[in-house]
Amino acid sequence: MSLFVLMCLCGALTFSARFLPLTGWLPAKLPAWFERAMYFVPIAVLTPIITHSVMVTADSGIAFSDNLRLPAAGLAILVAWLTRSVIITLIVGFACLWGLNYFGF
Amino acid sequence: MTSALDEFKRGLLDELPLQIGIIPFGLVYGILGVESGMSILETCLLSVVLFGGASQIVFAQLVASATPAGVILASVSTINLRHLLYGLSLASYLKNLPLRWRVLLAYLLTDEAYAMSIIRFRSGQPSDYLHYHLLGTGLLLFIVWQISTITGAFLGTAVPASLQLGFAVPLSFIAVLAPVIKRRAEIFAALSAGITALILHDMVWQLWLICAAIIGIAVGWAVSYLDKDNQMEAVK
Repeated sequence: MSLFVLMCLCGALTFSARFLPLTGWLPAKLPAWFERAMYFVPIAVLTPIITHSVMVTADSGIAFSDNLRLPAAGLAILVAWLTRSVIITLIVGFACLWGLNYFGF
Repeated sequence: MTSALDEFKRGLLDELPLQIGIIPFGLVYGILGVESGMSILETCLLSVVLFGGASQIVFAQLVASATPAGVILASVSTINLRHLLYGLSLASYLKNLPLRWRVLLAYLLTDEAYAMSIIRFRSGQPSDYLHYHLLGTGLLLFIVWQISTITGAFLGTAVPASLQLGFAVPLSFIAVLAPVIKRRAEIFAALSAGITALILHDMVWQLWLICAAIIGIAVGWAVSYLDKDNQMEAVK
């Protein structure tokens, strides 16, 4: 299979996942239990991406020690919670990571 | 009642701060795409055809390791299955729009656009033009993503790996999630999903993501049910 065909197939499947719920084929009023479940989708999808990106390395699997991303992410959580600012969270997170790297931690 | 232009501008403004995380993420993908053996054109084309950051990076990594096409297809589909859930949670707001709108908004429905627009949709402030908010968030993200990936593809290996620009991805999501996780059910959903992702991190085809999401949703649902917290159904 050529790379271009593979790209198009991946694109078509991704678009299908995004478009299918908007087709109107689903019931007009979704059950209350389902709406309750959907409420947790952002938290349940984005949190694993965060933990995986911060704690899992390609070389050694889960890294608790010698992982500078961990304190930087911890500080970023605190800053995000206090300031509710994406910009400040990114600046503080990167400053912490680069600072710890620079000072040889 | 807000106008279509107001909603569009609000979507742009809501999405704007996230671009600080998107730009390095796009650069990282662009660099990785070229390093994986794809041409600059193929790297940039994937950004248009797929338009899904995490899955593009996995695509590039799998192409670099000469993974069979079927496995790449399954991996990308698995990672992007979560968009089905995003669409489902937005369906009640969008499903009566004309087809051309639904096609356009479905194409633009990414993590970051969803994260900002769902907050607006659930804000309780009425508007006939809520879809313009998603158009604003999605369109800005699309433009910035394309420019970033093109830049990254041309920069190639000139950006030092020591900068760890990939860290922008979790930082962006932390900035979005941390302020909104308040109730017991939300805390339990986040903890269970996050821990599950670590336990299952070496699952094939990145299946840890879907498994962790299902566990997180189930735990959040169960705790909210036990707490008799009905706000999750009221925020429509």
